Amino acid sequence: MKQRLKIKDLFFVALYGVRARRGRAALTSIGIGIGIAAIVAVTGISASGRADLLATLESLGTNLIKASPQAGFFGTQEKLPDGVVGMVERIGPVEEVTSTTQTDLIVRRSDFISEFEGGGISTIVTSPELLQVVGGNLIEGRFIQDGLSNIPVTVLGSVTASRLGINTLETPTKILIGNEWFGVVGILDELKIHPDLDRSVFIGYGVAKTLFDIDKEPTTIYVRANPTYIEDVVEVIAPSMNPENPDQVQVSRPSDALEAQEAADAAFTNLLLGLGSVALLVGGVAIANVMVMSVLERRMEIGVRRSIGATRREIRYQFLLESIVLSGIGGLVGVVLGTGVTLGYTNYTDIVFSIPVSQVLGAILLALLIGAISGVYPAIKASKIQPAEAVRK
Amino acid sequence: MKSKQKTVIALKNISKIYEGPPQVKAIDELSLEIQEGDLVSIVGQSGSGKSTLLNMIGLLDTVTEGTVEIEGQDISSLSDNELSKFRGEKIGFIFQSFFLLPGLTAQENVAEGLLYQGIKREERLKKAAEVLEDVGLGDRITHQPKELSGGQQQRVAIARALVQDPAFILADEPTGNLDKESGMNILNILKELNKQGKTVVMITHNQEHAKKFKKVITLTDGKIVA
Ligand SMILES: Nc1ncnc2c1ncn2[C@@H]1O[C@H](COP(=O)(O)OP(=O)(O)OP(=O)(O)O)[C@@H](O)[C@H]1O
Ligand SMILES: [Mg+2]
Repeated sequence: MKQRLKIKDLFFVALYGVRARRGRAALTSIGIGIGIAAIVAVTGISASGRADLLATLESLGTNLIKASPQAGFFGTQEKLPDGVVGMVERIGPVEEVTSTTQTDLIVRRSDFISEFEGGGISTIVTSPELLQVVGGNLIEGRFIQDGLSNIPVTVLGSVTASRLGINTLETPTKILIGNEWFGVVGILDELKIHPDLDRSVFIGYGVAKTLFDIDKEPTTIYVRANPTYIEDVVEVIAPSMNPENPDQVQVSRPSDALEAQEAADAAFTNLLLGLGSVALLVGGVAIANVMVMSVLERRMEIGVRRSIGATRREIRYQFLLESIVLSGIGGLVGVVLGTGVTLGYTNYTDIVFSIPVSQVLGAILLALLIGAISGVYPAIKASKIQPAEAVRK
Repeated sequence: MKSKQKTVIALKNISKIYEGPPQVKAIDELSLEIQEGDLVSIVGQSGSGKSTLLNMIGLLDTVTEGTVEIEGQDISSLSDNELSKFRGEKIGFIFQSFFLLPGLTAQENVAEGLLYQGIKREERLKKAAEVLEDVGLGDRITHQPKELSGGQQQRVAIARALVQDPAFILADEPTGNLDKESGMNILNILKELNKQGKTVVMITHNQEHAKKFKKVITLTDGKIVA
């Protein structure tokens, strides 16, 4: 037989039960609301983090490789073999190579500060290409370009600049590097994947040789390679730098560190998702519970509906849909809350806001599904009430 | 009086046994015919089986033995869907405690009477307003049940039973919760409906009310004694 209760009317009927007991409906859908909010917030925050990471990686490039000798037995800085840059340049997919030399020159703001208070800032001797190879940007000034290599000028990493209290180059500023005065000509932006460079000052090879007698012996090399073959380059770089003892060369991709950090976050995300699912489960049980109670309380209503022509199936649909509506309300509230939390978090931490629409829709569907499952038993129970029993006072 | 009377409800040797424990034979091999346009009251002691009988006439309950024929059709062969449809279209129920749905206005309550007929909401509400006018509540259509007196609530319930234009009105102690005046008012409405051609069966504890109906059936222990 054809269903005579129209779908639209079925919605009205299902909403009747919710409207008539608003307070209870609100309490009933809290569990689902919390569960969905947790899930949306967690996926939203992790998606935002992911989007932000991708944006960062995009700007830095994932095809940068860094190689340096293993730290010596006493933590001393080993030097790389002579001509190492040339060796690496011969690897096919390598596009750019540059090297730096780590020194133990102490950096000071002025000579009022003793030599022993360098403050964890290291001095790196560099060639002009470094900035381009590591994908760095200048906040102000210039890098150690050709022509600046031989004169006592320096460029500051971002952390160095703030440690030394040098935020602008408007007035000429000098700092002491290994007891020699250097004019500051540039300040770098944060490099994100190179925290060691952020904590350094840079000088040219020419001036390093004349003032401190430091030779061009690389301690670290930076390599840009064709992204397609990046894994292969990582493989061969150590043997080509030090064929006898390749394991004395430490090769890393700075972008890996970021991704590893993200993976650690993912474990935490899964934990929160698990908690969200538990909230959903509890929420579903709560709805089933309240619906069963509601069916018992509403025998009169069921009896009246049966007496005015409702079939068993129509009663069943009514309570099933009511349960879905309850859960759906929780789901909607949860989505709004979860989105709000994500928005707050991304604003606070200043990262890109991103919530995948598919996940929001998925969350709502999940809520509806839970409502449907929770409603099955109460709905069947309601439809089985004998009309004559239901209208007995 | 019509010259040729048509039997619209025929109960043949029906019994209703509640399995309990203890087992109760609420209706005991009872036979009864109700003609089209009848105005019948059912009286009897509490527990004599009046409600049980009315519920079986109204297809809200099934018989344990015997057959129920409505308009010549044996209803034992009908499915739940068909029984429900029959109730919705042919039978209007009125209950002692009104059984209006809280939270809905008088008009919405009455409109519910057409809900399961596949009629559009606007039309249901329009029809409901008309019928409420007929029972003298034209000025109360936006009131909720709790804002109405008992007599008014029962008139809303009558309007709900009437809105589908049923052939039968079955009322289980419709005046039981009402004061004398409201009770008389309801009784007169039922008599008026009967004049308009509806078959009315009413349970009552009020002998005076019962006497105003054309036929009086007295039940004792599930049997008709008068
Ligand atoms: N669901 C049930 N299970 C067992 N016994 C029942 C059930 N319903 C009714 N009865 C019994 O059937 C008998 C008839 O009940 P019924 O409600 O028809 O009486 P009634 O004449 O309407 O009484 P009242 O005037 O008090 O309404 C009573 O003895 C009652 O206890
Ligand atoms: Mg009774």
